[in-house]
Amino acid sequence: MSTQPAPGQPPSPAPDFAAIKAVPFGDSALMVSLATGSVDERQSGSRKLREILLDVRPHGLLDVVAGVDSILVEFDCLAVSHGQLAQTIRLAATSRSSTGDRQAHDGKHFVIPMVVNDSFAPDLADVAAELGISTEAVLGHLEDSELTINLLASAMAPMMGSVEFPGQVSRCKEPRTNVDPGSVMVAGTNAIIQPFPGPTGWKVIGRTPLTICDIREDPPTSFKPGDTVRFKVVPDSEWERLEGQFLRTDSYVIEGNH
Amino acid sequence: MSAAERSITIKVREGAWLATFQDLGREQSEALGVPCGGAADQHSASVANILVGNPRTATGIEIMGGRFSFTTSKPVLIAVTGAPADVTVNGGKVQMWEPICVPAKGRVVIANARGGMRNYLAFSGTLVTGYFMGSSAPEARMGFPQQISAGDHVELQTSYAGFEHPYLTQPLFRLPVPIPSFERPLWTIDIVEGPETDAAHGIRELLSSREYTVTAKSNHVGLRLDGPVVHPQGLGEIVSHGVPIGAFEIPHGDELIILGRYRTLTAGYPIVAFATKASLPMLGQARPGQRMTFRWVSQEEAVDSQHEAQRLLNALETRVRSLFGAIDLPHHSRRIPAQAAA
Repeated sequence: MSTQPAPGQPPSPAPDFAAIKAVPFGDSALMVSLATGSVDERQSGSRKLREILLDVRPHGLLDVVAGVDSILVEFDCLAVSHGQLAQTIRLAATSRSSTGDRQAHDGKHFVIPMVVNDSFAPDLADVAAELGISTEAVLGHLEDSELTINLLASAMAPMMGSVEFPGQVSRCKEPRTNVDPGSVMVAGTNAIIQPFPGPTGWKVIGRTPLTICDIREDPPTSFKPGDTVRFKVVPDSEWERLEGQFLRTDSYVIEGNH
Repeated sequence: MSAAERSITIKVREGAWLATFQDLGREQSEALGVPCGGAADQHSASVANILVGNPRTATGIEIMGGRFSFTTSKPVLIAVTGAPADVTVNGGKVQMWEPICVPAKGRVVIANARGGMRNYLAFSGTLVTGYFMGSSAPEARMGFPQQISAGDHVELQTSYAGFEHPYLTQPLFRLPVPIPSFERPLWTIDIVEGPETDAAHGIRELLSSREYTVTAKSNHVGLRLDGPVVHPQGLGEIVSHGVPIGAFEIPHGDELIILGRYRTLTAGYPIVAFATKASLPMLGQARPGQRMTFRWVSQEEAVDSQHEAQRLLNALETRVRSLFGAIDLPHHSRRIPAQAAA
């Protein structure tokens, strides 16, 4: 049985779900990815696949972990086999893509203030040098980009794309062992915010005074994958007023209504 | 008829090297970037809860090293599982892997664990603690340490009101408890092949024939092992992808890492094997210095082992339910009338 890939749904190309590769990762997981297509197509395809899986929740599915261009699908090996689950995933993906994208997720939009100074942005000069532009231009590209949260990475860190940089930003040669919470970081054309202290190899170019994840809140983050984000560089003097506030859609209002 | 639930204070006197609230971990949290976490030895944690009539997912206490002790003014029903240890009630030795009826004004000590890393202490009823994403398991990095220290008072909601028997103060339980063996100096851990097994020439033979030793750098993120490794050839850069618990990674250095329940969820290192699901509880007990070797099994054998492990837990649960019903001890399957009475 073969299924035709769905007709293109602009702006993103239709992923070729007929070419889903599913490799056993131990007795209780499958590594699922698209076998064909460009880097961008495989990345956006795996994001779509992840949304479909979390929506359909095939029998036996326990959890999913998003990678750059793949998804780890964890399942109960007593409820379903590798082969059965792979088949269910292929069927769910092809039938969903042929019925078109239901835009179920009503995305929210966040404006996230960030402060840039020598201690908050230790890698800004490096990033500017690597891209061959000024530090002001680096921040300008970041502020001008409407970013989409693609997934929540380690400790609910929002991973966002794509920053309209003129090139790719490399990772630090030596990862930092501890980066402060709130740090705004970039790598490739992605941005991420460090929610809790911890190690990272991403380049740090600013810091938000807001608390983006707080386990005392329910849910602990206001954002979800699919939501959009715009960064706004604010003066150091704004830090104190905003410090520690929990990020919500109305945490920072541009052109101040305050 | 079961007694109504009441609140009891557990006074922690000694806090071991580390003691935390613990359960079987989070569900559906990894899609949000939070590792499932939970008891490193899920088998022992499950058995402890089953032995006191709780759901397997109930909150207990995970204990590592040193001495853990508590007192309570009211009777409590407990079970202690995990690594072989000395357990006493008011100075008298009691058995692990059995329900223990602790009398009023009881003092319980758990000490001298050997052969493994962790003990699990379950109480009949519900320990009052915080929850994060539906679980009491610690998530220290995100500010949810769940640590229990000497001097802490822990609240327990329980319908257990003591046990009286015409002849015995401590009932004799003859339960079919699946107790793992911690006695062997060399453990054999079942593994299945990984995506980079073939690219690492000779790793199959090494893992199944040589000995590996757990090093002191190990923790709940992963076990680090000393032993011969080979680096896979001709792979190029591996794009960062999700990694399951039990993945055998070979990073750039000459060591082997077996990922634990608090792993970083994505990585780009070669994976040369995966521990089977059924072997994870034993790995969760491995302490520094533990020697182990590995046995390759098929996916089918791996699933069969997990089936067998669950069958034994289910059989135990069934026996406990009928026993507790016969002698009128509280069991979670009867909790609804108890709550209605309260």
